[in-house]
Amino acid sequence: MQVIQLIINGILLGGIYAVLGVGMTMIFGIVKLTNLAHGEFVILGAYGSTLLAQALGVDPILTLIVTIPCMFLIGMGLQTGLINRVMLKGSEPALLVTFGLSIILQDAMLLLFTADARHAGAAYSSTILKIGGINIALLDIILLVISLVTILILTMFLNKTYMGRSIRATSDDTQAASLMGVSVKKTYAIAMGIALATAAVAGLCIGLKWTFYASSGGSYLLIAFGVVVIGGMGSIPGTLVAGLVFGLAQVIGGANYGLLVSYILLIIMLAVRPQGLFSK
Amino acid sequence: MGDNKTLASAHKPIKVLDGIPMLIICIIIIAALYILGITGVFSSNLMRYLMNIFLYITMGEMWNLLSGFTGMTSLGNQTFIGLAGFSVAVMTSTYSMSIWVGILVALVIAVVVALLLSFVLFRMRGMYFAIATWVVAEAICTWFLSWKYVNQGGGMSVRAKPYPRIPEIYLMALTLCVIAMVVVYVLLRTKTGLGLTAMRDDADASSSVGVNIFKSKLLVYVIAAAFTALAGAVFFVNKQTIYPSSGFDISWTVSMVFIVIIGGIGTVSGPVVGAIIYVLLSEILAKLPGWSNIILGAIAILVIIFLPDGIMGTLQKKLHFELFSQKRFSEPKKNLRAKAQMQA
Amino acid sequence: MSEPLLKVEGIQAKYGDFIAVHSATLDVPEGKIVSLIGSNGAGKSTLMDTVAGLHRPSAGKVYFKGEDITGLPAEKIVTRGLSLVPQGSRCFIRMSVEDNLIMGSFPKGVRAKAKDNLEKVYNLFPVLKEKRNDASGSLSGGQRQMVAVGRALMTDPELVLFDEISLGLAPTVIKDIYATIKRLNKETGITVLLVEQDTQRAMKTGELCHVMLKGEVVLSGPPRELGDDEIKKAYFGI
Repeated sequence: MQVIQLIINGILLGGIYAVLGVGMTMIFGIVKLTNLAHGEFVILGAYGSTLLAQALGVDPILTLIVTIPCMFLIGMGLQTGLINRVMLKGSEPALLVTFGLSIILQDAMLLLFTADARHAGAAYSSTILKIGGINIALLDIILLVISLVTILILTMFLNKTYMGRSIRATSDDTQAASLMGVSVKKTYAIAMGIALATAAVAGLCIGLKWTFYASSGGSYLLIAFGVVVIGGMGSIPGTLVAGLVFGLAQVIGGANYGLLVSYILLIIMLAVRPQGLFSK
Repeated sequence: MGDNKTLASAHKPIKVLDGIPMLIICIIIIAALYILGITGVFSSNLMRYLMNIFLYITMGEMWNLLSGFTGMTSLGNQTFIGLAGFSVAVMTSTYSMSIWVGILVALVIAVVVALLLSFVLFRMRGMYFAIATWVVAEAICTWFLSWKYVNQGGGMSVRAKPYPRIPEIYLMALTLCVIAMVVVYVLLRTKTGLGLTAMRDDADASSSVGVNIFKSKLLVYVIAAAFTALAGAVFFVNKQTIYPSSGFDISWTVSMVFIVIIGGIGTVSGPVVGAIIYVLLSEILAKLPGWSNIILGAIAILVIIFLPDGIMGTLQKKLHFELFSQKRFSEPKKNLRAKAQMQA
Repeated sequence: MSEPLLKVEGIQAKYGDFIAVHSATLDVPEGKIVSLIGSNGAGKSTLMDTVAGLHRPSAGKVYFKGEDITGLPAEKIVTRGLSLVPQGSRCFIRMSVEDNLIMGSFPKGVRAKAKDNLEKVYNLFPVLKEKRNDASGSLSGGQRQMVAVGRALMTDPELVLFDEISLGLAPTVIKDIYATIKRLNKETGITVLLVEQDTQRAMKTGELCHVMLKGEVVLSGPPRELGDDEIKKAYFGI
């Protein structure tokens, strides 16, 4: 019974990890950039949801109506104003610029929101459902649903719309895409906007599930990167499985060693199969 | 028009500032730094600044050696700083050994860990390598936070009787910095160094002329680990206390990246200029608590956009000189390329 | 003679310091099939990339339908009715055949016609309809070329540039594709510029022929008026 409980907990966490990684995977696969500031953007989303929910006295999930568009615009602006420019100089300067962004953001959040631990509470935060001897937190189910819906919408967008197709085409061949009338820079900006919109969702999940600090971005970045690595870049089904793997690693390691187990898993994966489990 | 200009400037002869006159100038500067430190002309405050500059130069040179000259961008050099700090603390406080034993143990551990890590890390390239080095640092930090042997997250102290005074630590830092710079300079002028720069520019060409990439990379990685660890050890001898969160802090990498980017990536003199600016700037920014990383990050981003060669790189290009040039192998490098192309 | 559909005047194109095209001048009259021949490294592909906007010229002018399109980016040029089928097909290999084709109707002006155009392409290449849901990366070389041609036609072009479309294909497949191009030109009046290394095939298909050598167009004229020797000389530079 305990094993089943553990596996279920792992699956429930997997959704959060998948949505944490999906934005990074997109940027990795489409813009060919490792965004070292992704963790900070997730935490920014977490602050947005937590503080807005407190200020307005509404359910944190409702704050997505505000945080998603805001983060989308931030992402577009960032790509247009900064990263597109730096990418002309090569991939290494672009990597270092996102590194610079991450430290700027981290300290800016520290200044703005102090070093206090934060947590977004909701009415259902401590409701536990008992199903056949297994305890499942209602919150975990809600978070899993939010994550899966986000990934489903993203998949539909990428497969069924002109804009989505143009994003996939750009990721396959930028020149051929521009011959079809696609502006590569604009596509990159939209992709970054979408990636940050998913960061807003991931931030909400993290704010509801755990306490977070202005400095929490780094460890979430590494998990997000792990999801990219295990899932294979740009692969959404891979992202889901990778999220599950990290969820289980977290559960197996427990409160003290969860992160360590995840890191070791990631290092092994990087050494053995850096191109990911799901790429050819 | 613009193109003609750059073409013309490229053909202007480049003055190489090294050889005997430059060597004499360097020796005079170094000798002055030693004498002024020993004779007590420098105040302890000044020596503290200079000591920090020397340690950051050492770390910067090592990061530059990895990223700027070899193309192995690391975000995890703090692994060796943390390990070194804890080695010194454990040896001096748990086993009551001398500081010198602590530093020696730090060196040995850094070399061993670098050798072990190389088997895993050298399977990766580019950003995978960068992130993997960071993950290693975070993993060790997480492990130390719950390892009783190093007092979990509670921190440890460096103990010694009598505790080294500021001038002594200053001399340690200065000596370390001089040795580090000489090693980098000499290494870059050897055949290995030539192979490494060729590898950064064109991995296939260098492997086809028989440069043993794995061996050369390993040599550079171990050297970088060793000197970074020594700098970390001296730093924590001065600081006296270490926590996992301070030893394995990503902000070490932030400083190294800043120093090298500002000074000029891929130049030997760049980290010197970068470290001086970094230490002065940190001092000024200390008056603005909370803002320092924001300003450092913004400066680094602006430099990457507008001055991608850094201060020394830009100066050398504009004024047509090279300080401590790698000239000796810039000629054979072309031959290497040609040979490689012929073989292909 | 009326104004040509495409007019290239003294185009120069460089990669860094390397000059790939020195000074290329050529005309493509409306409604014709024009061929551009030249040996490997003569600068044909660079010239095509430059005309289509993938590469910025360092000197010279490109006029399309009388308008100056020099230096416009590729995504703008395609909306004006000039489409390039790049060398090596360059399909979006992880996307399905149909998604590849639909990408051709990305320009806003042609989206309304996407359904009709898709039917036309499927009529032209029935095999693509069979494989519409397969990833284009799994197709044969000839089928990938069909996808690339179909994708270009989806943009509703008035002029299509085909860059060495026969490269690496079996002779029978080449024959089919050339027949299709001829049919297209006859039935819909689309103007065609064909880049070829094979002189014989280019002469047979083109109504007007340009020969490129070392980054310059050295010979132009209708194939019948150009002697074999003259072409050989221009082609090899002897």
